[in-house]
Amino acid sequence: MSAAARRWTLAALAAAVVAIVLFPIYWMFVTSVLPSSLVLSRQPPLVPPVDAISFASYVEVFRRRPVFVWLANSAIVVAGSVAMSLVVSTLAGYSLSRFRTPAQRVAGATLLLSKMLPGSLVVIPFFFMYTTIGLIDSLAGLVLANVAVGVPFATWMMKGFFDTLPRELEQAAAIDGCTPMQTLWYVILPLARPGLAACGIYLAIVSWSEFVLARTLVTKPDHWVVTVGLQSFVGEYLVDWPALMAAGVVSLAPMLVLFLLLEPFLVSGLTSGAVKQ
Amino acid sequence: MAAISHKSAERRLAWALLAPAFVAVALLVAWPIWIVVQMSLRPGRALALDQLMSRPLGLANFERVLADPATWSAFAHSTVYTAGTLAPAFTFGLLVALLFNRVFPARRWLRSLLLLPWAVPGVIVSVTFLWMLDASFGVANSVLRRAGLLSTDLAWFVDADTAMLAVIVPTVWKSFPFFAITILAALQGIPAALYEAARVDGASAWQQFRHVTWPGIRRPAMLAVLLNALWTFREFDIIYASTGGGPAGATETLGILVYREAFASFRFGTAAALGVLMLATAAIVVALAMRGLKEEFR
Repeated sequence: MSAAARRWTLAALAAAVVAIVLFPIYWMFVTSVLPSSLVLSRQPPLVPPVDAISFASYVEVFRRRPVFVWLANSAIVVAGSVAMSLVVSTLAGYSLSRFRTPAQRVAGATLLLSKMLPGSLVVIPFFFMYTTIGLIDSLAGLVLANVAVGVPFATWMMKGFFDTLPRELEQAAAIDGCTPMQTLWYVILPLARPGLAACGIYLAIVSWSEFVLARTLVTKPDHWVVTVGLQSFVGEYLVDWPALMAAGVVSLAPMLVLFLLLEPFLVSGLTSGAVKQ
Repeated sequence: MAAISHKSAERRLAWALLAPAFVAVALLVAWPIWIVVQMSLRPGRALALDQLMSRPLGLANFERVLADPATWSAFAHSTVYTAGTLAPAFTFGLLVALLFNRVFPARRWLRSLLLLPWAVPGVIVSVTFLWMLDASFGVANSVLRRAGLLSTDLAWFVDADTAMLAVIVPTVWKSFPFFAITILAALQGIPAALYEAARVDGASAWQQFRHVTWPGIRRPAMLAVLLNALWTFREFDIIYASTGGGPAGATETLGILVYREAFASFRFGTAAALGVLMLATAAIVVALAMRGLKEEFR
């Protein structure tokens, strides 16, 4: 086999693997654009007939359920928690990267360990604290809880990015008369922009996916986020599958876009920082 | 003198930068853990902090949890779920990493698409697989029937014999990209010269994997296994949103049991005790792996 033929064989093999892996996402989409009569069949067509495709389920699910409210609530929680987490973890990540005193070591280890806490355990004290101080049922409370979830890993991620920037940058800036804060703001942060972008996207994916805190700390349906809304379909006597899949596609789409933006950083950036060889 | 004051200014900056993270960790991580420990050590019902703190210390919650057969069955379920997820997810992740380490057209795009499941929220994973594994109209049963492998309408998530498998499959789907990414990054760090030298020495493909590839990826791969084991052991979203721990407790892992104790039975004390035992288990696993870990986090 020539080298070119071998390359195309590998590409075909890889494409086949990708097709199998992505089948669930494909099937979710196919179900969402077909009428129930075709979907509720014992032999559903694997490739849908083109003339049967309609987006009626999307109209239907937005009409019957407050999907828009769920999406808006999710967007508020994501925006708030990403902004807060990014500030905290950028500063902390810089500190962990540049200063190696015992305080930094302890903080770093604590952050890493907190990533190991089970979500269904962490939610108990949050529920307890929030009922005591009246933060239950509020999106602000959910934002704070999401900061607790996101900061630990994001800090380590930012530390990884700062580690790749040479220390000579700070020395040069100091010689030019910059104070340390000016150095961070005018020299380091602009260079860390790709890292900030990757970290922000990572945080957005995590908080958009978050379920157990949102399910527990918020009970009013007006304040449900999209994961809680989707889960509310499960266990109904007759699940409206095309509608559920339509809602699933709508809530998944922003994550897929974010992921395709993040992916180039993952193999190069995240692995070199968080999982060092 | 100037050097010393410079040093202390630097230290102040180090602290100032870390301060927001310290506040966040203290308020959002340390304080909640402290409450959980207090809850586990102070038996009885309490609905507010002052009520909780006024209860006497005691180990009744732990005694109760350790004597409860539900704890041990949940522990067994968690172990089966974790091992059942890790083995296929690691194997598949390793195989696709080896494939995507080769050079071929459109590799960059195919790689992005391959890793997509990692970004799918657990709840969406659950509802998608609930639908695909539906007894009557699920595409999985339809394909199996067409292939002649299945003659009945198997309700994967509802049948107690298959429910564990039914929650493992979506978990594997969501976890394998992490292995693929970690191993792929390690593979790309292995110098091509090593393979050339091995080929010159007449090494077979298997010998090249055994003596060049595996030593190069062993450490990051083992670290990925450890991290994933900890994450899978406490997994909640996928199981809760699909079976809720059922049918008849067949998929009730420790993570689910903690939640049910707290928010279905409102026994926060025993739930907290269970959680503390879960953390202790995780800590023991980490301690056993610590020698390897230390080398990773130089």
